[in-house]
Amino acid sequence: MRARLIHGIAAFFVAWLALTALPALAAPDPLVGEGEYLAKAGDCTACHTAPGGKAFAGGLAIASPVGTIYASNITPSKTAGIGLYTRDQFAAALRKGIRRDGANLYPAMPYTAYAMFSDHDIDALYAYFMKGVPPVDMAPPPTRLPFPMNIRLSMTAWNLIFFRHRSFQADPAQSAAWNRGRYLVDGAAHCSTCHTPRGFLMEERSGLAFAGGQVGAWYAPNITSDKTRGIGSWSKPVLIGYLQGGVAPGARAAGTMGEAVEHSFQYLTPADLDAIATYIETVPPAGKAEASDRFSQGQAGSKLALIRGLSSTETNDATRGAMLFQGNCGACHAALGQGGKDGYFPALFHNSTTGAANSNLVATILYGVNRTTAKGQAFMPGFGGALTDPNQLSNHDIALIATYVRAQYGAGGPAVTDQDVATVRQGGPSSPLVLVARIGLGLGAVAAAIMIFIILKRRRSR
Amino acid sequence: MAQIESADVVVVGTGVVGCLIAEQLLDAGHSVLMLEAGPRVERWQIVEKYRNLPPITTTNLDAAYPPTRWAPFLDSTSPLTAVDYLQLEGPNARAYRQDYVRYAGGSTWHWAGICWRLTPEDMRLKSLYGVGRDWAFDYATLEPYYTRVEEALGVCGPSDPGLQWPPIRSKPYPMGRLPFGPGEQKFTDAAARLGLKNLPAAQARNSGVAYDGRPPCCGNNSCIPICPIGAKYDAASSLPRIEAKGGKILVNAVVYRVETGAANQVQAVHYFDPDKQSHRVTGKLFVIACNGIETPKLLLMSADTRNPRGVANSSDQVGRNMMDQPKLVAEATLAEPAWTGVGPVQGSSIMQTSQGDFRAEHAGALFRFNNMARSRLGAIQALKTGLVGKALDAEIRRLSACTAELTIEHELLPDPNNRLTLSDKKDALGIPKPNIYYDVGAYVRKSAEIYSTPLVKQLAHEMGATDVRVTTEFTNSDHIMGGLIMGANPADSVVDVDCRAHDHPNLFLPGGGAMTTAGCGNSTLTMAALALKAADAMTAQLTHA
Repeated sequence: MRARLIHGIAAFFVAWLALTALPALAAPDPLVGEGEYLAKAGDCTACHTAPGGKAFAGGLAIASPVGTIYASNITPSKTAGIGLYTRDQFAAALRKGIRRDGANLYPAMPYTAYAMFSDHDIDALYAYFMKGVPPVDMAPPPTRLPFPMNIRLSMTAWNLIFFRHRSFQADPAQSAAWNRGRYLVDGAAHCSTCHTPRGFLMEERSGLAFAGGQVGAWYAPNITSDKTRGIGSWSKPVLIGYLQGGVAPGARAAGTMGEAVEHSFQYLTPADLDAIATYIETVPPAGKAEASDRFSQGQAGSKLALIRGLSSTETNDATRGAMLFQGNCGACHAALGQGGKDGYFPALFHNSTTGAANSNLVATILYGVNRTTAKGQAFMPGFGGALTDPNQLSNHDIALIATYVRAQYGAGGPAVTDQDVATVRQGGPSSPLVLVARIGLGLGAVAAAIMIFIILKRRRSR
Repeated sequence: MAQIESADVVVVGTGVVGCLIAEQLLDAGHSVLMLEAGPRVERWQIVEKYRNLPPITTTNLDAAYPPTRWAPFLDSTSPLTAVDYLQLEGPNARAYRQDYVRYAGGSTWHWAGICWRLTPEDMRLKSLYGVGRDWAFDYATLEPYYTRVEEALGVCGPSDPGLQWPPIRSKPYPMGRLPFGPGEQKFTDAAARLGLKNLPAAQARNSGVAYDGRPPCCGNNSCIPICPIGAKYDAASSLPRIEAKGGKILVNAVVYRVETGAANQVQAVHYFDPDKQSHRVTGKLFVIACNGIETPKLLLMSADTRNPRGVANSSDQVGRNMMDQPKLVAEATLAEPAWTGVGPVQGSSIMQTSQGDFRAEHAGALFRFNNMARSRLGAIQALKTGLVGKALDAEIRRLSACTAELTIEHELLPDPNNRLTLSDKKDALGIPKPNIYYDVGAYVRKSAEIYSTPLVKQLAHEMGATDVRVTTEFTNSDHIMGGLIMGANPADSVVDVDCRAHDHPNLFLPGGGAMTTAGCGNSTLTMAALALKAADAMTAQLTHA
């Protein structure tokens, strides 16, 4: 009896220990998993993880038109990361762009989109970043933008003018899928951050939502529902396939979109991808009129007859472009630009990269493609965008290739210039904002105040 | 005589050996200056040069690399140019017509990318079989360097130990093996029926994935003379990275003299520019990485009062023990198509035939199905028949699909009589041309007679050959070895275990020249492993100093 009692007490203690110990080990906070999914949907890693660096430890140099911004460490490190943030401070950073110390973040952090995050999703993200991410005690280099952008207080004025802190309001007239899609597209996925053109003060231009914008070296094209300007010709399965694998008829994801597919979209549930496609299909047409769409330009062909028998020193710009194409591109994209049979190497005609006159053709030649999804790796080497690229082509030679490719297989139009290539090589066009702002300051605070007054007035009268 | 440059480490030669050393020393924080005799060209220029060659010239695999006036090398464009630079003599003079390239990036521009390792037995010929020499260290010493080179070059190979050569490895290959083309599969099946295993070759070629910014192989089948996309490692692809790390590369700088100082240390090298203006370059450590012909030539030319037989040559072994793998070729006509040419130009070999106790009596050999597309050869052959129209088309197709080439490469022993000396003939800058005496010897001849030729005929017949013609004149495999032989004893060898010259504490002579024995496999991986071993020694030496 006594022995049984002791056994009973022992068993009780074992059970009690198991009950108290197990929840912490075996049943983690379900919010952490939700938060991890949301962090993928938000593609936090795109900026906050440097290539080859530790997850979310920051340090990635982001070339912005006003200077280089270094992404911060958002691991729960108490010294280098966000380990000291309370839930509300975390929410303020995400939704208002305000740091724990009260300073403003630059809108490279898409808080204008993350403002949509619901309280519950903020809780989940907070749980993930505090409990699901290993702390890394390594501080990235500080961001030093040129004067006057280095005065973070200037962002208060920017927020006042451009930032409308809107929480998500479901539209009862629309389906649940559409509402979920809008919540993701305008919120976590922050599509407009790239696809909506920016104005003089780096604000997203109203009335041009998703009409296409320059993002450093790359151009995020028009994704409105217009059949000519946008992606209105894509069915929902085509768009979903593109988000999952980066491939659609006439389109391949590269650059920042390749990263978004690799780090974010491929991990979204079929239901969420369907929701995104449902919403994107309804984005009203916007942007500059186009005579023809970017997916159906050009045809197979070559100028081989002009160059066979010539040596590389006997060429003029026209024949050199054709020869550069054959020598650098033809072994994969094939002599007539028709690509490979299995589609790994895309055809260069009926291809949105050659079918539109934006920076993406030059960016692709300079930086290549490196996109890994569940479907495998898609790779094209860069031709000099990185100093370590095995093959280094000059601005002039890249301009000749791009001109040749666009004329032979794409949209045609004016020749690509050496300067066009130089601009993409330096990371995209730089903004006159810095210079203008300095001059503005030189003219005095009064002038600046008048400017803000006028802008404010315009905005109210809209 | 202007002195224009100086660096911690001066590397002469920009091939795989020079580039691996340069990069490792840059990573260790030392300044590096590289001197290259030839020009620097872009990949697309070579690709287009090759594609623009008249069809008949494309069978000369170095025709896309015309030598410059100031940095000549063997030019097989015509029978006349082929004998202009290398002065060859001896019973097998023809078999030392080594193809190499004096361009920035060196001869890996047109290598096949094959990365066989030596076996432990290959390194102990003297003690196991009583022939040749033993290496000064064993396979276990070399193994970590093999592994590092495989990672540096991006080598793909089989994960199944049963298909590895040798299956003694500390790490898996960085990438999985490439699949066989149909021709190689037929050869593999035929070999298996004879009890032989045709192994997928370890090769510095990206299989399925990108590596180091270079794309995966897409089967252009022009590895020799050039990979148009850089899927095959070549040292040229590492030149931008070396520059990005701060290395300086000076091209069209023909080094013609190694200058020693009072303590017999090397204190400078001198080079001619194309106008024969002389320049002097100083440094702390010097690497001559111009492989087994140009390096011994330069050392012999640099004789001074302290080193009357040439720099690094107190042993009189500089230029001796010249090696290669003497090659014979079987041309077979097949009853059924082999579909040669799918995938890289080489992708496999039978290696077990290089090993065995018979090595006491005669050489072992490697057997390989040559996977270079045969359409070009078929067309040239068909045109000679006088056929026209559809009959010509049909004959081109038949000859392209239903013929095959099997290659035998024999192991050659180090023999001091196979010797490089300075010719009386001079090149355009007045620099002596290399003269080489070459005899493959009884060891190889006996192998060809009783072992390799009978076996290659068996293999060809097993593949369904209706007709087999095996060459009897040995030719070159372009695997230049020897000339700077490594050993523990300074009296009978040129360099120590770290490829450091016995005679000069700050002179390193890594690469094929230092190899003590040759084995049957392609030499590059071993050359590169020796380069990394030397680089470790150099880093330690600079840190110590």
